[in-house]
Amino acid sequence: MSTINFSAREINFKIVYYGPGLSGKTTNLKQIYDQVPSESKGEMVSLATEDERTLFFDFLPLDLGKVNGFKTRFHLYTVPGQVFYNSSRKLILRGVDGIVFVADSAPNRLRANAESLRNLRENLQEYNLRLHEIPYVIQINKRDLPDALPTDMIRQVLDPEHRTESFEAVAAEFQGVFEPLRAVSKLVLEKLAQKT
Amino acid sequence: MLEPSLDLYGETYEKVDGILAELLSKSHARYAMILDRKGFVLMHRRAVWAPKPPSLDSLATLIASNYSANTAIANLFGESGFKETVQQGAEVGTYLEELGEKALLVTVFDSSAALGRIKLFTKKAVEEVRAVLRDAKDEAPSIEFDQEWSSSTEALLDGLFGSGKS
Repeated sequence: MSTINFSAREINFKIVYYGPGLSGKTTNLKQIYDQVPSESKGEMVSLATEDERTLFFDFLPLDLGKVNGFKTRFHLYTVPGQVFYNSSRKLILRGVDGIVFVADSAPNRLRANAESLRNLRENLQEYNLRLHEIPYVIQINKRDLPDALPTDMIRQVLDPEHRTESFEAVAAEFQGVFEPLRAVSKLVLEKLAQKT
Repeated sequence: MLEPSLDLYGETYEKVDGILAELLSKSHARYAMILDRKGFVLMHRRAVWAPKPPSLDSLATLIASNYSANTAIANLFGESGFKETVQQGAEVGTYLEELGEKALLVTVFDSSAALGRIKLFTKKAVEEVRAVLRDAKDEAPSIEFDQEWSSSTEALLDGLFGSGKS
């Protein structure tokens, strides 16, 4: 749920990058951090293990700018993808306004994609939320893999009814990184406009 | 849905700001901060003598996440939460108190401040802020999210992320 701070004249949104382990969630945030001008971003915080796997979350605050005198800000988070960090994933979803699901194109990760999506639905239920009620897009990452699965096959598993916008990406090369973020941000803002 | 985590505006804001100022003065803490449990900063105060704080966004996010993790640990043992969250380094420490269901009051102090004073005055400040919020009569300022607002935010999105491909 977005938060308004009248005293600081800020509207804040929380966007979470979700997906299986090693699908590229942290890579997305690092690329965004590298590409966004310094005046529009804060410090990036990463809570990672020694081998650079996300332990708790990565965090990156972005300033969109001022509209009607209110600063619009997005806080981007990643969750740890590894299966056994589910408690952490649940905590990060608290107050989520939008989700980018980062899917892995590798053939041997198709099942991990599906399980991560199921896990996302279950964890959202803890907050009485349902995925289709939340601004949500899919990023199909690692399209440069030589044996990358066809996107249709991945979408058939993750979004068989084609209800969700999806984007192909090679996040490590900054391809398809901004598009899903822009799309989910737009959905979040539209939802706010509808509700008020 | 859009909502303030605490109704901090108008006279209420001024009163709470005064309580934070008094907390800093009496406890000798460096900073006092009210944040919501999602990790957004709602208000903050810095003692005149204190060095510039680190990024408040990072600080608030880490404190709120740490609080959530500690609560989850307590839940594993059948507790609803831990009564106190104190962290002390060689030079700097933090002390945290819950402020209603949605917010936290955090005091950041250094070795020149006694932990007992920090706890005492932070608890006192929490009670005072609660009383102010309970008695608040300010009407929430209105903000309109009309077509103009939507177009403006979309233009900002294009400006930051571009309208084409990355």
